[in-house]
Order: sequence, then C-alpha cells, then structure tokens
Amino acid sequence: MYQMFLGGALRVKAAALAGGAWSKQWRRWAPVAVLVGLCIIIGLFNPNFFGGANFVRMLNTAAIPLVICMGVTFVILMGSIDLSAEGVIAICAVAASMLVANDFTGIAIGLFSVPAAILIGSLVGLLNGFIHVKFRIPSFMTTLGMGFAGIGLATAILGGVMVRISDSSFRDYLSLGRVFDIPAAVYIAGVAVIVAYVIQERTRIGRWVYAIGTDEATARNAGIPVDRTRIIVFGIAGAFYGLAGALSAAQIGRGHALISQDRLFTAITAIVVGGTALSGGVGSVLNSVIGVFIVIVLTNGMVLMGIEPYVQKGVQGLLIIAAVALALDRSRLDVVK
Amino acid sequence: MKMESRTRLQTWLPLIVLVVLVLLVGLYDRTFFSAGNMLEVTADTMTLFLMASGVTLVIMIGGIDLSVQAVASMTSCILAVYLPRFGIFAIPLAVIGGVIAGFAGGYVSTRLRIPSFIATLAVSGVVLSAGNWFSETKSVVIPGELSQTYLTWAVGDFLGVPNEIWVGVAFLLVLSAVLGLTPFGRLVRGIGAQERAVMASGIDVDRIKIAAYTLSGTMAGVAGIVMAARLGSGSPTLANEFLLPAIACIVVGGTAITGGVGSIWRTFVGALIVQVVRIGMTFIGVSVFAQQIVFGFILVAAVAVTMDRAKVLVIK
Repeated sequence: MYQMFLGGALRVKAAALAGGAWSKQWRRWAPVAVLVGLCIIIGLFNPNFFGGANFVRMLNTAAIPLVICMGVTFVILMGSIDLSAEGVIAICAVAASMLVANDFTGIAIGLFSVPAAILIGSLVGLLNGFIHVKFRIPSFMTTLGMGFAGIGLATAILGGVMVRISDSSFRDYLSLGRVFDIPAAVYIAGVAVIVAYVIQERTRIGRWVYAIGTDEATARNAGIPVDRTRIIVFGIAGAFYGLAGALSAAQIGRGHALISQDRLFTAITAIVVGGTALSGGVGSVLNSVIGVFIVIVLTNGMVLMGIEPYVQKGVQGLLIIAAVALALDRSRLDVVK
Repeated sequence: MKMESRTRLQTWLPLIVLVVLVLLVGLYDRTFFSAGNMLEVTADTMTLFLMASGVTLVIMIGGIDLSVQAVASMTSCILAVYLPRFGIFAIPLAVIGGVIAGFAGGYVSTRLRIPSFIATLAVSGVVLSAGNWFSETKSVVIPGELSQTYLTWAVGDFLGVPNEIWVGVAFLLVLSAVLGLTPFGRLVRGIGAQERAVMASGIDVDRIKIAAYTLSGTMAGVAGIVMAARLGSGSPTLANEFLLPAIACIVVGGTAITGGVGSIWRTFVGALIVQVVRIGMTFIGVSVFAQQIVFGFILVAAVAVTMDRAKVLVIK
C-alpha cells in the first residue's frame, strides 16, 4: 500500500520500467534509497538513532523545514527560485508574535494570529510574483532583494529587540503541545504537506506549474495564463512561509528578525536532494518531504557522531552540488547561466 | 540620433546620480565636502568595491556569485590565524583561499552544469564551514604589532591618501585593463552578449567562465584581507551583510544583470553611490536595519532599469 502510494506520487509509470528507462527509474527512487541508506549507516554507528525519542526529535526538527519546502518547491517546479523565504518568515514571525499576548504590543488575538501571518506571508509572496512578472526581473534577483528587505523590515519594526510571547496556549497549539507524544508542530507540518499535495495533484495551478516548468513558451501557446499562475504560485509560497513564521515564533516563544537564519539554505538543499530539478518541471512536493528527511537525518547523524555543528553547512553545500550533478538531465541544457 | 543620446545618457547616468547625491548630502551637512571627509568616505567604500569588482566579471558573463561574503569572511580568518605563524606569507595564503573558492564555484557551475546562483550558494556553505574551521568559530584578533609590520599597505596612508584608496584604485586599473585590453576581457563581454555565438566560434567558454569566477573569488579574498586589516580581526561572519550592497553597487553602476554590458569603473561609481546613499540615510536618521530595506528595493529597481529585455524571452 505504502509503496503504491509513494510510487504513484513520485510519478512512476509502469511503462517506464521497461528496457532503457532503468536509469530514469533509478533517478526517481534515488532519494528514497539515499534516505534508507543514511538511516542504516547512522544506525550502525550509533544505535540510539533508532530510539523513539530520537525519532520524535527528528520529526520535530523537520516540521518547520517541511512547511517552508512546500512553498519553495512550487516555485522551483516552475523553473524559478525563491530566495526570499528567510525575509518573509522573519516578517511573519515578528507579526505573529506581536499579535498574540506579548511584551511589545497590547494586541492579543490568540490563534487568529496564524491566519494573519499566513495572509501577510502570501501578500509579500504576491508582491514578489508581481514584481518578478510585471517588471520582468529574474526571480532570483527579485526575491534576493525582497528577502533582504524583509529581514530589514522585521529588524526595523523591532528596533533590534525581541518580542517575548506570553500566550502559552498559542505555543501549545502550534508547537509544544503533544498528542500521542508527538509535538503539535509535526501535525501542522503534516497538514501543510497534504495541502501542498492536493494543490499539486488536484488543482489547475498545480498542473500548470509543471507545464510552465517544462516549457514556458509551449504552456503560453496552449493558453495557460502563465503570468497569473506565476504570481499566484509566489503567493502560495508566501503563505507557507507565513505559516512557517508563526510556527517558528511559537517554537521558541519569541519573535525576532534572525529567527529564520539558515532556513533558506536548508530548504533548497532538501528540495534538490529530494530530486526536484532546479530547471523546473521535474519533481514533486513528496520529493521535498524525502529531501527534508535526508537533510534532517544527516544533521542528526552528524550530531550523534560528534561532528562539529559548523560543518553542517559545508556538508549541505556539498550535498546540493552532488545531488544536482547526479540528478541533472544534461540533455536538456545547453547554456547554463 | 535619439537612440544614441539615450545610450549616452545610460552610460553617464550613474556618474550623474553620484554627483547629485553628493551635492544633496553636502547641502545637508557642509562638513561632508571637506577633503578629509571625502577621502574617508572613499576609503570606507573600498572594501565594498573590492568585493564587488570581481563579481562584476561574473555578472558580465551572465552569471552571479553569491559566495563572496563567505569567501571574504574566510580569508579574513585565514589571515588572522596564520599571520602570527607565517608572517607575510599569510597574505598570499589567504588570497589562495579566495582563488580556490572562486575556482570551485566556477567549476561546479560550468563543468557540473549547475545554475550559478545555486552553485555559488552551495560553495558558500562549504566556504563558511571552512572559515569556521580556520578560526575555530571564534573571532580572531590580529595583534597590533603584526598589523604594523605586515598590513600597513592596507590601512596606513601615503601622500596623505589612505592606502585603502591606493589598493582600490590599483585593482580598478588592473581589472579594467584585463577587461578592456586582453582577449579574456573581450571574451567575457562576448559570452555575456551571446554565449552560443562564442561557443560556436570554437572557444572554450567554460574555461573563460571558470576564470571569471576565480577572479571573483580572488577579489573577495583581497576584500576580506583589507577588511580584516581595517578591523584588526578576522571572523567567520566578518563580511555578512555585504553581499546585497555588493550586488547593488554593480547594478546601480549600470552593469546589466543579463550580461554583456558593464565595466569595473561602473562598479567603482556604483560602490560610491551605495556608500553616499548609506551616509545620507544615516544623516536623515534611517536606522542601519531599515537601510537593508532600501538596498533591497534599490537593487530590484536598478535591475529593472539596466536589464536588457530583448535578450531574454522567458524570464525565470
């Protein structure tokens, strides 16, 4: 059952099994194989890895990256990139923490701050998309600028201080409270994955994303509203960052501008390691789920093996290079910018 | 005729903007015009310019280098850690660190065919770890007497002009000569303008590209050394917050993100514009944090103005 589900989701076609499609097949399943292989190797080094407590810890660490990746994946599937995640998350985390009971503002709207954060995130995302499409600026430039502006905005609002959240039910419902010993954040991330999967499989936007990523000119000729789809997809991505912002604020109980540090890098690593191609059109949100767990398991494994934390970024960098180099379909590219 | 005057305007626009900005800030505060202040402002700009000068080449070939801030931080660490041990040889060692990082970015981007912004982002992760490894994640102080012996070329002054400016101008001249007078420079422009054509004429495009990325890493390395010399310490986060201003000063100077058009002096002017804008904002009372917002928007606006839209049909 599980195999069927994952198999269908990763777009395995029975016909592809025949003959020369072997390497293609391998590419599709490589991320899963890598994840399983990693687990086995780390488990051999340190049997504690397979303990229930460690498993819950990893799930909890994976929650926020999962939510972020759900957003970035759609953008990458279109062949664009979103480098603004950190900035948008910072704005939304600061906004969320200012809207619940806190020591900075007098506002306390409790859990309504979550939809508010999602709304703010999607508005910033739409602005990203609008600038990118209407002014015809490459997405990496638009989102790079917006990301920095976002962190600047979050810092400027706070003047360099932190917001302390005093609303404990906000933190419980979003992050800390446990059901069956698993933190709430994990369930929320699970819902986010399902929502993203439904968008991908069951909506027109989801289908159009693949069409645009595969061949934008053809998609345009086929009558797909490419510009509108692009703007909406950036908006969807922003909505996921908004949720990630609220989750981050709930997790640490504070809101500040650097709350999302290094999140972007981890997200992009996870997505490409999961097998979604940066050139667009190939991949899935479920690939990103696998990717996130590869990164989290690796990080966890490095900690268990006693490797210095600062090495992680380097390992992530090498992972990006290796994953992209291995997965890249070179026949599709001639000029690489 | 109209076309011609328009391109001429585009050529000189950054310089005009710079003069106007200087006048505006000067009207606000007369002391800004004093020779001492002018020199100080220019000297403060040089590290930014050094960092941006190499990236200019990468942008001219139509790529981007997002690793420069990590590279500069790493070389500052190498310098600070090895200066007590190896003396003057720590400087070439640090530069070599930059060369290797730049080469790695170029190699990954071209030979492995990974888009440059992801390739250099990935390399910057590795470089950041390397910087942390060299400095053992700490900020490393350069002892004053060592700085006196080995680093006065960067922080002292000569003929009344701070040495940062001499260093900056020297690299401005060298890189401009490389870009303007050598076959390499012509190929850089050619690749940016029409990569396929250059490829079709039998030139090893990848090699030129790798050279451009390597130069970018080298210049980031030099920038890191000058930065460490000025601050008297090296740290793995020394050059953070420099990436955005560096790219901003390239595009503000008029180098197009789409490649092919640009020059080093434009980046020089762009760096001065960024610096004067920053000073102006500080005068008006815009906080350092809020300045990031302004730079974010300046960047996007400048890209919008300078981009050659005829060249890219599909904008990803």
